[in-house]
Parts: sequence; structure tokens; C-alpha cells
Amino acid sequence: VNFTALDWIIVVTYIAVTLAAGLAGKKYISSASDFLLAGRHLGKFIGIATLAATEIGTITFMYYAELGYKTGFASFVNGLIAGGVMIFLGATGFMIFRLRDLGLTTVPEFFEVKYSRPLRIVAGVLVAVGGLLNMGVFLKVEGTFLTIISGLPVADLKWTMTLILFLELLYTVLGGMVSVVITDFIQFVMLSVGTVLVTGYVIYTIGWQHMQDAVMANLGANGFSPIGNPDYGWAYIGFQLLLWMAVDTCWQTTAMRTFATKDPETSKKVFFWTGFIFLGRGMMPMLWGIGALAYFGPNHDSLQAMPEMIARILPTGVLGIVVAGMLAATMSVNSSYLLGWSSVISQDIVLPLRRQPLAQRSQVLLNRVVNLLVSLFVLFWGIWYVLPGPVYFYLNITGTLFLAGAFAAFIGGLFWKRANTTGGYCALVGGAAGSVTYFFHIPPAYAGMSAFALAAAGMVGGSLAAGSGAMRPRSTRV
Amino acid sequence: MDRIYRGGFLRFWSWFWTANFIIAGSAFGGIALVVAIRGLADLRAMLTALEMDRKGKEDP
Repeated sequence: VNFTALDWIIVVTYIAVTLAAGLAGKKYISSASDFLLAGRHLGKFIGIATLAATEIGTITFMYYAELGYKTGFASFVNGLIAGGVMIFLGATGFMIFRLRDLGLTTVPEFFEVKYSRPLRIVAGVLVAVGGLLNMGVFLKVEGTFLTIISGLPVADLKWTMTLILFLELLYTVLGGMVSVVITDFIQFVMLSVGTVLVTGYVIYTIGWQHMQDAVMANLGANGFSPIGNPDYGWAYIGFQLLLWMAVDTCWQTTAMRTFATKDPETSKKVFFWTGFIFLGRGMMPMLWGIGALAYFGPNHDSLQAMPEMIARILPTGVLGIVVAGMLAATMSVNSSYLLGWSSVISQDIVLPLRRQPLAQRSQVLLNRVVNLLVSLFVLFWGIWYVLPGPVYFYLNITGTLFLAGAFAAFIGGLFWKRANTTGGYCALVGGAAGSVTYFFHIPPAYAGMSAFALAAAGMVGGSLAAGSGAMRPRSTRV
Repeated sequence: MDRIYRGGFLRFWSWFWTANFIIAGSAFGGIALVVAIRGLADLRAMLTALEMDRKGKEDP
């Protein structure tokens, strides 16, 4: 066991403080809007904290470190695109300004506001399936990290996963978005400390020059150039640019932060500054992976190399702080994702299918029950599913399942007067069809690009084929 | 010729990623510090607004 008593005290104290803060959020819940969007009261700084904490998890560190280990400095292109796209959206307000202005609660709700209720339900099903498959592998990867770094026996992996999930579920079910935002703030501070500490130790222990030499020796020029690297290239870069535009605007957990800000101007500022955090969110864990390549050489397990290196180089006390930080990252992502996918199932599938509207209290109860069911699915999927390749590519493709179609439908709905419901259906079907080709051994870049191309073609072709008779009056809802 | 091209090519990428990493790491640390300090006031404002919303719903 790598952990000493001091490390355990730090971790247990962090968990106790987070749980207490999370449970305190329950008293502020008086409506479904409070439960799902914290009453739309997010300011700039807390908005940055919750958006960053939601999208920085142990899973993020693991998949980015795996990319760093396998593809060297060339992997940095992923962080550059993720951060650059978000900074662009924040600076221009492209899409996010109008989306916040619509006063939505969930991503599929847009489909009812701009297209039709049946399309909202179809979008809800796709969003939920893609989101659950995506989140389904989180626990296994996070549990692997925590068992390796703490030195717990691998046999305890399932119990570690179950415990993590139970803790997150406890405060998410009771306090919804309010609890998630409160805990996200604490978790953001903790994970930032952990991230900076590990980065400093990796550079100090292994050395920048040694890492560059290791990449050169093991990967050659492909370890530096994202153009020449066979895992990347121009098609991949194009796919990533589109994917991140779609993630930042249509990904349920990110979009919930857009919808929860005080006003559209605040959402622009939140995106702009979080974009800079996203640069580091990518490049720092990728550097840890490169450090693991220099430390172990190229024949180690690519996913486990980074946590094993961290467990060896960090001293007692620092290890506890870092694990508390990683646990914070894990809990902030999982609680937000639990809430995000549960809200889609309850708001966009169950409620639209009911003939009678539900009272506010019943809506909150429904959300809590769905939260519990989603947790059970995530637990069981995480235990038995075997990943077909690198985690990052799996997450990209399961996300693209609905993101490609949703992005085309969002662009059409916001900026094209001839966009209509038929185009929306064709976009969703085309996007999903393109992304599943990954599971038939099509490289991720081509599967992803074909998903976006088919979705765009579906949107344009379907709308033009249906003609103006299928158009819906533009909604003025705010 | 090929060696010169590869040397310049690699040197470009090496400097490019080093510069990117320095910007990314500094921005991450700096923004995290500012958010940690000023986020608490934002959080209090959010909770106060939620409390007022709740009282508004209770008092017809």
C-alpha cells in the first residue's frame, strides 16, 4: 500500500467536507429549475469553477495521459484545439449567446422549441444513450487510477467504484445542481492544486529535456508533429475542431452551465476564461503520460503507466493531497454527468410522453429516481464492458453519436430559415450512423468526420426535400 | 538536405509545444488562483438569490 496514515487523513477529511457542503445544498431546492439549473444564478467565477470542474475528471487525466504516453508531444494538439475552440466561442459568443437567450433547461428541449415535440423525444433518446455509454466507462478508469495510486489490491476495484458512485449519488440526488455547484467549487480548488503539484513533480523528477529525448527515441518525428503522426493528421484535426464546437454547445453537462448562467454575457465570459483552463486541462496530463514514457519506456500498459509513475515519484503527504485532488475531479465530473443525463431522461423523454404535466415536487422526485437508475446502469456497464481501443477515441465516438446530429440541427435551427423537422430527423440519423462505423474498425478520425458530414447533409437535404410546408414558426420563447 | 529539414522541422515543433505548454500551465494556475479567491463571493451571491427565490415562493 502506497498510502500512509497522513495520506488517508487528508483524503478522508476532504470527503467529509465535500459531503457536508453537498448535503447543505438540499435546503435551497424549491423547484425543478433550482434542482436542474441552480435557479440560473451562476456568476462568472463560480461559472468558471463549475464548468472546469465538470469537464476535468480523473477520466480526463487518464485518457490524456494515455495519449501523451502513446503519441508524445503531438498529443498536445488535442489540448490546443479544446482550449482554442472554447476561447473562440467565449470571445465571439457564437451559438452560446443565442442558446442562453432561449432559456432552455436541456439540450433536447431546443428540438421542441425550434422543431417539434416528437423530435425532442428522439433527440432525448439519442442524447441519453450516447451520454450513458460515454459515462459508462468512467468508473472503471477512475477506479483503476485510484487503486493503483493508493496501492489498494486490484481485487478491491469494484468496491472502490461502488463507493465513489455512492458518495456522489448521495449529494446529487438530494441537492441537484445547487449541491453540484457548491461541491464543484471545492473540487475545482482541490483538483487545481493536485494538477499543478503533479505537473511540477513530473518536470522536476524526470526533466523536460529527458522527456523530449524519450519521445524522440521512442516515437521519432511523429512524437512531435500532429500532421505526420498516423494517429492524427489533417482529417483528425478537422474532426476535433468540429467535435469541440459541438461539445461546447450541445454536450448536456456543458450546455447546462450555459443555461444556468445569469445572462448571455456571463456565459460568454465563463467560456472565454475556461478556454484557457482547457489548454492546461489537456497539456498537463499529456505531459504526465510523456513523463511515464520516459520513466518506464514504451512497453508498459499505456493506461496504467501514468498512475504507477505518480505513485512512485510523489512523497508522503503530497500523495494524499494529489489523491484528494483526483478524487475531487472524479466526483465533480460524475455528479454533473449523473445530473445531466438524468435530466435528459426525465425532462425530454418521460415528461413529454406524459399527457398531464407533473407538479414541481413530483418533477424533483422523478429526477431523483432517474439519478438512482442511471447510477445503477453506470456501475454495471463499468464492471463488464471491455474498451475496444484508447479511452479517448471511445469517448469521442460515443459522444459523436448524438453530437454530430445535434450540432447540425442547432446550427440549422439558429441560423437557417429553411431548417425544418424533417431536416432535424435526417441530421440525427445521419450523425448516429456515421459515428457507429467506429465499431466496425473505421479509424476514429474518419468515423467522426463522416458523422458530421452525414449530419450536415441530412439537415440540408432533409429540409430542402420537405420544403417550406414542413417549417415551424420561429419560437420567440426566452 | 533531408537531415537539415528534419532538424528545423523538429526544432519548430519542439519550441512550439514548449511555448504552448508554458502558456497553458501559467493560464491554468493563474485563473485557478483568481477563481479560488473570487468564486466564494459568487457562490454566496448564488445561495442568497436562491434563498430569496424560495422565500418569494413561500410568501404569496
